[in-house]
Amino acid sequence: MEKNKRGLGFYLRIYRKVLVQDLKSKMSYRADFVISTIGMIMTNLAGFITFLILFGKFPSINGWDYHHMLFLYAFSLIALTPVQCFFDNNWNLRFMVQSGDFIKYCFRPINVFFYFISEVFDVKGLGQLAFGVGTLVYAWNKIGLVVSVPIILKLLLYLLTASLFMIAIMNAAAATCFWIQGSGYVMVIMFRFKDFAKYPASIFSGIFRVIFTFVIPIAFVAYYPSLVLLDPGNVPLLSWISPALGILFFYLSYKFWMLGVRRYDFTGS
Amino acid sequence: MGNEAIVMKDLCKDFKVLNRHEGLKGSIRDLFSRDYKTVSAVRNVDLTVNKGEMIGYLGPNGAGKSTTIKMMTGVLEPTSGEILVNGVVPYINRKKNCENIGVVFGQRSQLWWSLPLIESFKLLRDIYMVSEKDYQDMLELYRSLVDIEPILHKPVRQMSLGQRTLSDILAAFLHNPDIVFLDEPTIGLDVSMKAKIRSLIAGLNEQKNTTVILTTHDMGDVDALCKRIVIIDKGQKIYDNDIEHLKSYFGSYRTLRLKLDDDTWEETLIDESKTDIMEVINRADRQKKIRDIELIEISTEEVIKKIYEGEAS
Ligand SMILES: Nc1ncnc2c1ncn2[C@@H]1O[C@H](COP(=O)(O)OP(=O)(O)OP(=O)(O)O)[C@@H](O)[C@H]1O
Ligand SMILES: [Mg+2]
Repeated sequence: MEKNKRGLGFYLRIYRKVLVQDLKSKMSYRADFVISTIGMIMTNLAGFITFLILFGKFPSINGWDYHHMLFLYAFSLIALTPVQCFFDNNWNLRFMVQSGDFIKYCFRPINVFFYFISEVFDVKGLGQLAFGVGTLVYAWNKIGLVVSVPIILKLLLYLLTASLFMIAIMNAAAATCFWIQGSGYVMVIMFRFKDFAKYPASIFSGIFRVIFTFVIPIAFVAYYPSLVLLDPGNVPLLSWISPALGILFFYLSYKFWMLGVRRYDFTGS
Repeated sequence: MGNEAIVMKDLCKDFKVLNRHEGLKGSIRDLFSRDYKTVSAVRNVDLTVNKGEMIGYLGPNGAGKSTTIKMMTGVLEPTSGEILVNGVVPYINRKKNCENIGVVFGQRSQLWWSLPLIESFKLLRDIYMVSEKDYQDMLELYRSLVDIEPILHKPVRQMSLGQRTLSDILAAFLHNPDIVFLDEPTIGLDVSMKAKIRSLIAGLNEQKNTTVILTTHDMGDVDALCKRIVIIDKGQKIYDNDIEHLKSYFGSYRTLRLKLDDDTWEETLIDESKTDIMEVINRADRQKKIRDIELIEISTEEVIKKIYEGEAS
């Protein structure tokens, strides 16, 4: 009774089907949908205005002028979208682990992490994406960057890289709930750190720079990857290898998450 | 691999329980704390279940029933001992094991909360790679056993507890697994829903020859479904035999409840083979006024207590 192997194609197909069903049911709660979309736009607007007020005044920070800062900001907004759209269920992890409801993800012949994460798709992140893209295009123009196919591909690659880092951070933060009870704090703190992503890492000194690069790799959520586009003649090694590092961090966070599942002893009857 | 669906040998499960502390500071302290105590949830259990059998796996609260099921389904690693489910070591080959089992855990639904049941079914069909024909056949079988139309297009979140349990049971059988684990499937349901669910389980077992492991605190479930019962208490197997065997010992036990004038109930456990119930009632009636009488079948808990007191083996 050997069945076919479940490969990448299988998982993509299942994901698509869950997503379509989930969107359908979300649309049926129309009021909810509209309100959360409006909420998201307001949040973004507030963030943007804060940004304008803060940075409109300074002509430059560490050699970064206003439009470069804006570029970094937009880059981080886009890079933060996947973690919010696709990995939002991580926020529910600790509740399910504590109540014992988490066990249901372990009864299917598919990857537990995939099954858990696929269950929630958060549309609110899409507003932020649109906002980020608009701002990025504007900053791109003002800085006078060229547009060409290789550059766009590079942009996409490094955006993806940047989002992998944020996903990895949140995976790891969520997985702490398998060990400690106060994992809610850990998640909130880690999520707050994303606010540092929009600053050039060069403004951080000494120990903070090391932490934000190698421990909680916030500097990779915008700074290092965007240098590849902003300053092509002068790209540090860390920027070049950031795609490989992103995959590594994501992989490590996934392993950590799965390790949590293995050692978790399924409380609740 | 012979006729055995499940083989367990000398199976044990200990939990190390940390004495936890409150708050962020407490959490950090817990990370480094060695303040453990050990709970032996399952102790040296030997059990062989043959294909197609329906077993009542019974025991009082905290006996270790759910823990055993968690080991059989591969989510918990045994502390020691051997376990084979369909010839597979569940904890090591969790995914492979899950191909051939179905699980229902009492009041925890495993379906997609916001989706209509039929969409959950379709997703499960894809996840288990069930062929379209087998899938349709199974739906056909469901229709012949129970009226599924009223719930098929209802989102799970809008279902009553009974409908949800029914849905979960149907979902557990959908990929025609060799074994289905039902952990307290009738908990919290009314009498008619219990009856419906019992006949559904009986029908599915009969049609598909599915092995069923059932835990319950309701002797009615056991009576309706299980030929063989296994009882554990404090993690140890204390009884494993035909239900007939058990009945020959306890079938004659009833609990007599008498409602007295001051609205209190007085309970007596009576062995009908030794004592005549009418005589007890008459005797009581002479002493005090009786306003109501109830006769209750002996409960699993009482049977277990009797066994534990050493009357059956
Ligand atoms: N994850 C866990 N961590 C620590 N102790 C546990 C855990 N799970 C179960 N136990 C303990 O193991 C024992 C057996 O629990 P289990 O849930 O298997 O009982 P049960 O027979 O299913 O009881 P019930 O009828 O109440 O569902 C209990 O003493 C319980 O407190
Ligand atoms: Mg239990």
